[in-house]
Amino acid sequence: MVLYPIADALHLVHGPLGCAAYTWDIRGALSSGPQLHRLSFSTDLREMDVIQGGEKKLAKALCQLIDLHHPKAAFVYSTCIVGVIGDDVEAVCRQVSALKGIPVLPVHSEGFKGTKRDGYRAACEALLQLVGTGSTEGISPVSVNILGDFNLAGEVWIIRDYFEKMGIEVVATITGDGRVDDIRRAHGAALNLVQCSGSMMHLAKQLQEKRGIPFKRVSYFGIEDMAQALYDTAGFFADKSPGIVGRTAALVSQELSTIMPQIAQYRRKLEGRKAAVYVGGAFKAFSLVRALRQLGMDTVMVGSQTGLREDYEELRELCDEGTIIVDDSNPLELSSFLQEKRVDLFIGGVKERPIAYKLGVGFCDHNHERKEPLAGFTGMLNFAREVYNTVASPVWRLTPRGAMRDRS
Amino acid sequence: MRKVAIYGKGGIGKSTTTQNTVAALAEMGKKVMVVGCDPKADSTRLLLGGLAQKTVLDTLREEGEDVALEDIRLRGFGNTYCTESGGPEPGVGCAGRGIITSINLLEQLGAYHENENLDYVFYDVLGDVVCGGFAMPIREGKAQEIYIVCSGEMMAMYAANNICKGIVKFANAGGVRLGGLICNSRKVDNEREMIVELAAQLGTQMIHFVPRDNDVQRAEINRKTVIDWKSDAPQADEYRKLARAIDANQKFVIPKPLTMDTLEHLLMDYGLAA
Repeated sequence: MVLYPIADALHLVHGPLGCAAYTWDIRGALSSGPQLHRLSFSTDLREMDVIQGGEKKLAKALCQLIDLHHPKAAFVYSTCIVGVIGDDVEAVCRQVSALKGIPVLPVHSEGFKGTKRDGYRAACEALLQLVGTGSTEGISPVSVNILGDFNLAGEVWIIRDYFEKMGIEVVATITGDGRVDDIRRAHGAALNLVQCSGSMMHLAKQLQEKRGIPFKRVSYFGIEDMAQALYDTAGFFADKSPGIVGRTAALVSQELSTIMPQIAQYRRKLEGRKAAVYVGGAFKAFSLVRALRQLGMDTVMVGSQTGLREDYEELRELCDEGTIIVDDSNPLELSSFLQEKRVDLFIGGVKERPIAYKLGVGFCDHNHERKEPLAGFTGMLNFAREVYNTVASPVWRLTPRGAMRDRS
Repeated sequence: MRKVAIYGKGGIGKSTTTQNTVAALAEMGKKVMVVGCDPKADSTRLLLGGLAQKTVLDTLREEGEDVALEDIRLRGFGNTYCTESGGPEPGVGCAGRGIITSINLLEQLGAYHENENLDYVFYDVLGDVVCGGFAMPIREGKAQEIYIVCSGEMMAMYAANNICKGIVKFANAGGVRLGGLICNSRKVDNEREMIVELAAQLGTQMIHFVPRDNDVQRAEINRKTVIDWKSDAPQADEYRKLARAIDANQKFVIPKPLTMDTLEHLLMDYGLAA
């Protein structure tokens, strides 16, 4: 759920209760203010609702929830059954919106419409109904929107702080620590910075096409990518904001001087150890390969769930000869690669953790459940510490695999 | 117990034909239950003397899971049992799922149980087999024989052919068979010959030709079947003949649907021959 970190909006899943499973406050998307997004709502469609149609129940639920929680906007997520029985979700949203005076936005996220990427697109389409409805008065010409960061463990705050130190106004963070009113005026920003493999790409492209706002693809993971993101942004504003490049260089060098001594220490212990990476988006995989290299580690297996052909071409160029590159893998395949390559560390999401632990391999979480910020320079230090603590932990010597290795 | 489903193009006279036939069977001493599978819930009006039936789905909605068979099953003409599955208001929800739900409920409540000593169950299904729900009555373990009501009009024949395609699918997966075509005459030229030929090409039979007679409408205005309203009318005898033909029927087939071309040819040959 890409939209869920918008903290002052109501998020209502229109469908059977099971469709809202695994949505209630399970991600680490933090908010600096309202916490409404941490609740999860469902219209709890039952058999008789399927037969009679769920429109009345939806309208009732929306009105009740809006009266109770006073959100700035409401998002209604369509599920498969709603698509099949043809509930007119748009009409209900329009009616409730007129009645309650807040935007009520349908999200066409019926599961059968396609893959995760189509879900991203549905989310962007919903956001596009919101962007442009607010006033852009007072927005600086040196301003950005941060797209595709979900403020896991407060990461967006770290990034936002860098930009503000460089003298750049951050108009909206979409969607991490997001606010409806900020998103409504997001079209006032001079540049969109898009992170991740594409959850917000459609929004960025549409804003470029319709409103002429350019965008840059960035990543905030690892020293190289983080610095690159700041320098690229500074370069973009070099004409409008004299001295910005110098300010950026000073910021980067100050951050580096803080973290590098410690990272160098970890690197000495990690040099030559082997890592495997399996994450959702390919862009995150690129950054992780680079960040691991920074720590002296070799990535011997890397893969993603949603990567495209060009992403894998890029991965191949980035990785060393002999690295296994996988797309949309399964647990059996992953575990056989982990064994074949005798890895010391596996980086993945929540579903990969048991695979690693069963094999006696160290594991680091790099998914939406994580509690440590890994973005930015500070994040790189956290990442290095986490990798070091995991790989160097004495516990692996007690596992059958570790014991075997010690003996040989 | 024989389980019979009646299909056919919308407006062709399925409900009228079913109820008159059921009335004739009841007159013959058969114990019959009619299950209306149409959201309009008008499949039992003539047997009950009006739209007196509270539908299965309305009952479920208002009274929850705790439904008794007596709540949803009424006695009609000749001690027939009448139920209406009902459905959503037009334009919302899923009528197909409604039929699945109500047929399941009838089974759970034992409406088809041996103790009921039923000779026949008739499912009167709306229009075409538009989705999975409307095919529910012909799935494994439900109706075993199907009669398609049609006329010599192109669209009625087209619908009949289309329904046959649905039957083929379920016949291959289960035991359902086509028992024949019932021609409900619209006074089209060469109608009887054309339907006899269509039936032959489908591999089935025209089980009866029901002539057009305004007594049917007169009886309907009185909320009755012809048999109930005017027992000695010639049309009442037609329905008695149809009932006897169904009762004696031995010919149950998996139909062979026609291609569109063949169907058009049939129409041209018989239509122009007039």
